[in-house]
Amino acid sequence: MRIMVEESMKGFRVGIDIGGTFTDLVALDEETGLITHHKILTTPSDPTKCFIEILERLDKPVKNISMIIHATTLGTNMFLGQVGLEPPKAALITNKGFIDVIEIGRQNRPELYNPFFTRPKPLIPRRLRIGVFGRLDYMGREIEPLDEDEIRSIARMLRDEADVIIISMLHSYINPMHEKRIKEIILEEYPEAVVVASHEVDPQPREYERAMTTVVNAILKPILSKYLEKLSSLLMNRGYKGRFLIMKSSGGVASVRNAVEKPAAFIESGPAAGAVAVAYVSRLLNIENALGLDMGGTTAKASAVLGGKPHIVPEYEVGGKVHMGRLMKGSGYPLRIPHIDLAEVSSGGGTIAWVDEGGALRIGPLSAGADPGPVCYGRGGTQPTITDANLILGRLPRVLGGGEIVLDRDAAYEAVKELADQLGLDTVETALGIVKLSNQVMMRAIRLVSIERGHDPRMFTMFAFGGAGPLHAAELSEIGVEEVVIPPYPGVFSALGLLATDFRYEAVKSIVKEAVELDDEELNNIFMELASYAVEKLVGDGVDKDRVTILRYLDIMYWGQAYHLTTPYRGDVREAVMEFHEMHEARYGYSMRDEPVVIVSARVEALGIMDKPSLPHSSIEEYHPRPKEEKDVYYEDTGWTATPVYHRNSLRPGAILDGPSLIISDESTVLIPPEYHGYVDEYHAIHIRRG
Amino acid sequence: MHRDRITVEVIRNALIYISEEMGIALRNTAYSPNIRDRLDHTCAVLTYNGELVAQAEHIPVHIGSMAVGVKNTLEYLDKEGFELGKGDIVIVNDPYIAGTHLNDITLVKPIYWGNRIIGLVANKAHHVDIGGTVPGSIGGDVETLMDEGIVIKPSKLVEDGMFNKSLIEDLAKGVRTPRYLRGDLRAQVAALHLGEKRILELVEKYGVEIFIESMAETLDYIERYTLNRVRNLGVYGRYTAVDYMELPDGELANINVAIEIRGERINIDFHGSSDEVPYPVNAVYGVTVAASTYALKSIIDPDMPINHGFYRVVDIKADKGSIVNPNPPSPVSGGNVETTQRIADVVFKALAEAYPDRVPAASCGTMNNIMIGGVENTWAFYETIGGGSGGRPGLDGVDGIHTNMTNTLNTPIEVVEREYPILFLRYELRPDSCGAGEYRGGLGITRAFKVREAAILTLMAERVRLRPWGLKGGGEAAPGNHYVIRQDGRIETLPSKATVKLEPGDEVYINTPGGGGYGPPSKRSIDMIKNDLDEGKITIEYVKKYYGDISLV
Repeated sequence: MRIMVEESMKGFRVGIDIGGTFTDLVALDEETGLITHHKILTTPSDPTKCFIEILERLDKPVKNISMIIHATTLGTNMFLGQVGLEPPKAALITNKGFIDVIEIGRQNRPELYNPFFTRPKPLIPRRLRIGVFGRLDYMGREIEPLDEDEIRSIARMLRDEADVIIISMLHSYINPMHEKRIKEIILEEYPEAVVVASHEVDPQPREYERAMTTVVNAILKPILSKYLEKLSSLLMNRGYKGRFLIMKSSGGVASVRNAVEKPAAFIESGPAAGAVAVAYVSRLLNIENALGLDMGGTTAKASAVLGGKPHIVPEYEVGGKVHMGRLMKGSGYPLRIPHIDLAEVSSGGGTIAWVDEGGALRIGPLSAGADPGPVCYGRGGTQPTITDANLILGRLPRVLGGGEIVLDRDAAYEAVKELADQLGLDTVETALGIVKLSNQVMMRAIRLVSIERGHDPRMFTMFAFGGAGPLHAAELSEIGVEEVVIPPYPGVFSALGLLATDFRYEAVKSIVKEAVELDDEELNNIFMELASYAVEKLVGDGVDKDRVTILRYLDIMYWGQAYHLTTPYRGDVREAVMEFHEMHEARYGYSMRDEPVVIVSARVEALGIMDKPSLPHSSIEEYHPRPKEEKDVYYEDTGWTATPVYHRNSLRPGAILDGPSLIISDESTVLIPPEYHGYVDEYHAIHIRRG
Repeated sequence: MHRDRITVEVIRNALIYISEEMGIALRNTAYSPNIRDRLDHTCAVLTYNGELVAQAEHIPVHIGSMAVGVKNTLEYLDKEGFELGKGDIVIVNDPYIAGTHLNDITLVKPIYWGNRIIGLVANKAHHVDIGGTVPGSIGGDVETLMDEGIVIKPSKLVEDGMFNKSLIEDLAKGVRTPRYLRGDLRAQVAALHLGEKRILELVEKYGVEIFIESMAETLDYIERYTLNRVRNLGVYGRYTAVDYMELPDGELANINVAIEIRGERINIDFHGSSDEVPYPVNAVYGVTVAASTYALKSIIDPDMPINHGFYRVVDIKADKGSIVNPNPPSPVSGGNVETTQRIADVVFKALAEAYPDRVPAASCGTMNNIMIGGVENTWAFYETIGGGSGGRPGLDGVDGIHTNMTNTLNTPIEVVEREYPILFLRYELRPDSCGAGEYRGGLGITRAFKVREAAILTLMAERVRLRPWGLKGGGEAAPGNHYVIRQDGRIETLPSKATVKLEPGDEVYINTPGGGGYGPPSKRSIDMIKNDLDEGKITIEYVKKYYGDISLV
């Protein structure tokens, strides 16, 4: 386990992504560079089942696999209240007078107008939130001592009440002495308890966010440990000897041992893998800035990759609700853990179209998902979906998934006709309307991760993937991107991202001092401490020291501001402050160079670089392929138009495709509308441009 | 023609996105934390004659007031003989025209296509200080609007693309935070330019006639939507209610409403409400429209988009010279933070008669505004504290949350303690403060702190004397209860509106009201009572008092 496997022995590298509906597997033969992939339904009640099932589909001896990288939505599912994933019994110890900080949250409500709004349930019942004596001030000075006898008696009481105990005291990010002592006493009285203190998990100011990050971590611990232990032993029983790694929400990976230590870091790993895949393939194709659009069965997700790196945000909410691509603040539990920035909108193949009380055509947020799915699947769906609209317009083949699903156009037509009758429109026009509205909603998601973050879409190339993304991709270029890329394996593209990650650990230390009060020696000491923690993790995971990259950052803000910006630190705090002013100027249009500047915290990102596989490729020979057949497809400008149909796996690098064209495969359908052109590059990716 | 139905929907969505994008741009370029962190601003797209088409919503009080404010501004310009030229931007904050309070500065820009105005973009942002007798320009011992700060009548901030520098400098001289003012105004202007650019792109794509027709059809659509919604709810009649504001002189000011729901119209009339008062709690008409719109939309359809089409169906009347439509120069700064809550309450109360299964009991009904600053003006801190939301048909109210017309975030204790000479003693739910009921109200909050330096505290709150009401037999909630504990142990109770001097070591306790109960307490399930008791949200004394002698075994 200590050798760098990818250096010494070649085998299979396998990514397994267990999503809400489907489980995907992508396997790379490191010898030949060939890729195989599978997709099966997820078994939500016991995800270890579909994990093993899809591994068996691979039909390769487990001992030939050198590495398995796994992404899971297990954490999210627990917060969404999935049966079989009940959180453990947990208690919170905090300052007297402040037991409701985790219930009041930031005091806002997640929905402005809904009188029946609810707040996420506090994860710890009020009677198990216990206030104790002991108070520090904002400098970390003790102004009231702990009452150790009180804590002892609470610890004894909790033996029968809780398995997990969380400690979160005010200002512990500056001085953890009270939290440490409380933990010691609890473990003396109740050694079997899982005890987690906030300074260990998230040593940063803002009591609510720190407490919640700690609570979420602590209660996920038993669930994730159990799950990963079970998987590990199932793998071991089958003779697996390779490495088993888990994908983080930040796009990096970690070993099982470290995953269990900070389980909240793994909550959104599946969607993160999609952005990592975009970053990976865009590097192969020499594309600097890329947008990812992943259109699945229920939703579409947009992400941005800048300079080859997915855009990462330091905080998000787990179990939160999303409204038109924006997370509704306060609808979930805040987590201060780096997370790939994604905007999610209701526009998946199964998203339902309807007519509202004002007589307007609307789409979402309801979805028929994959079960019962669109009307045309013939599995009991009755409400028209985006997929049904695409089928009516001739944009889909008669069968999907290599013959698994035969599409029923008549049923789809009847369902959309019902809407058309309400609208007083023609059925085909209504279907076109559904497609246009879904495109508009997806463009909004793309706008959220580009324009609203201050990036012009014209600097990007867009990658479209997921089952339905390639069908809508060309039309989405209207947002301003010059080129759209349909990568190879679009149906399992996220899982492909699992094969192309690095080990990644973060460490942070709160400083909260004016920049002028700090010297670089002090900062260097802090960074040494943070780096040694992170390097220890990497080495523990078997990473060679010469493959470790340490990136140092400072979080900086103007005195009195609520939010900071993160700038690189290269050993000179004045240089970092200058960079902060410039970044502020670029981001917000102004800077305040005479105002006092505060260094909020020091941050280290430690990467253990892995070899990235190459994708199968061959040399380009330009040619015009011959279509297999022709099909009538409806376009807004030209109406029903004869459209050549190609099979994707018969196209070779160099193929030139004029719009209109339809390119079908088992995974997804690519549409090149009239006035667009496409070509197939050396990696079999299809590039589409207008004109 | 057929395809236009779809085009209209696409253009309607696009205009909402444009107003949102303007809002994000304004937030990102603003100077003051109030806009950047609390999102106290809004952006909108309107027709050439000032009818609201699309608006980005952040805080409820802005929606509705924009619809009134821009129309008034255009009328004023027309009367004064101003022409709106291509490169012009109009500025206004006069609450009697622009419709909230002086802190909210509204900017309006025409959008020209050739020589024709095809629409307007506008935004409104809360500026942290606009002059006046107290820092922050809200509340205090004031008698007229002029005591509350600078009053700007509609004038050209930008004329033919050139900033009116002398106007900006005059404004900057009159406020405490001139840098924020200049910066935030610049951000507002930049957001309007962005909106104009996006709209012109849209017009280029679809053509000017289709664009203008679509804007008009969008208004018809919301009119149709509102009407169908009201018809589908199927309740017609006239419903009345009254509720009260607590005045600093110990009197109460009544707010009356009569809501008439018919098949084709909803009339909301505040006739009979108290005359305007010489305290800063008068609500200008824009605020009254905002609060009424908020309450009505919440009940008939929380997801319904609002534009001018809504106001073709809903007519809001308030007598001139009343507390809900005062004459200048009555002071109005608190109308926007406290009276607005009461207007929402009274509209809810009347609607509860019409739609008993859709309306919650009264929420805490106040934003509990706390303004605290050093005696020598060296520091100042402002916050609002939530309370309980009202019990609802089928659901308890929510404990400790911002309700109705506000939704701003709290400031974390660790941040306040680091930046101000304040030490918090408690921040907890307030047991027993809920109104009892089959579905109880939410609990209020106790927020208590000690000052480490001498300071001046101003409280602007409500529901200290009158309790938040219950519905359908539900009980009233506990009122607010605020006091100072002096160093020597004396306890001084504070009225709902007060200014006091604090010495180092003095402790301030703010206990905010809970929400009213819904349905008779006798119908509450024993399990729910037991659970509240178990959770320490109510005490055994409370159970005895409101639920009687029940067996809890």
